[in-house]
Amino acid sequence: MLNQVYGAIADPTRREILAILAEGETNVGSLAERFPISLNGVSKHVKVLERAGLVERTVLGREHRLRFNPEPLQEATMWLEHYRTFWEHRLGALEEFLLRKERRAASEHGHQSEESGR
Amino acid sequence: MKATDQATPVLVVRRQIAVPRERVFEAWLDSESLAHWMRPGDSTHAIVTVDPRVGGGFRIVMEGSSHGCVEHTGEYLAIEPPSRLSFTWISKFTDQRPTVVTIEFHERGGGTELVLTHRGLPPTEVEGHRKGWSDILRLLEAVLSGE
Repeated sequence: MLNQVYGAIADPTRREILAILAEGETNVGSLAERFPISLNGVSKHVKVLERAGLVERTVLGREHRLRFNPEPLQEATMWLEHYRTFWEHRLGALEEFLLRKERRAASEHGHQSEESGR
Repeated sequence: MKATDQATPVLVVRRQIAVPRERVFEAWLDSESLAHWMRPGDSTHAIVTVDPRVGGGFRIVMEGSSHGCVEHTGEYLAIEPPSRLSFTWISKFTDQRPTVVTIEFHERGGGTELVLTHRGLPPTEVEGHRKGWSDILRLLEAVLSGE
């Protein structure tokens, strides 16, 4: 799924389509008018975005409404949330480790302060 | 905001450590010290191998955590003691894609202010990364110097 999302947004035309849809719903016809490529070409790009879950299509009679769905993009950045906690905890552990080491070195070297005179 | 801006996430974490930066820096490249603190609290131990030179790799395996056995690998991009360190970071949490961690060590009253930046890469560049590590390095230079 994530690969499909990255693949979908790797193309500049598809990013442009998403930027347009992010401003509001539209149909395939009026979307295609804004691109110098054929309706068929725009349609193909839309299908790739649909497969990645980034675009949702509602069929109302003959009209196909397209809507932008940002959720898969948020999923693509989930690692970020994971690593926020990860790094905060690791840096805490690093600090603890270093302070312990400093204290040990200080007592081993006849209580010489490691920090003085630096 | 364009929809695609969300695809280039950046995470910044800061920490003050009351230890001179030379020693804070060293702790990042020493496998023995890494094994002490580079593991989540619920994991039993970490196996660490490092080849601390630019272009060299590292591997950190965190065992027995709630996520099972987690492997992190990467390659050193910049080693500038005692002020800056940068490496790629790949794990199952990054979908096995290269992300980039850059750490700056600032001197603050005898201690250290550590600023860690973890960034994803723009989707177009992620595509480029499949071509190989030499491309990654070139792209990184552009990404990092463009700050």
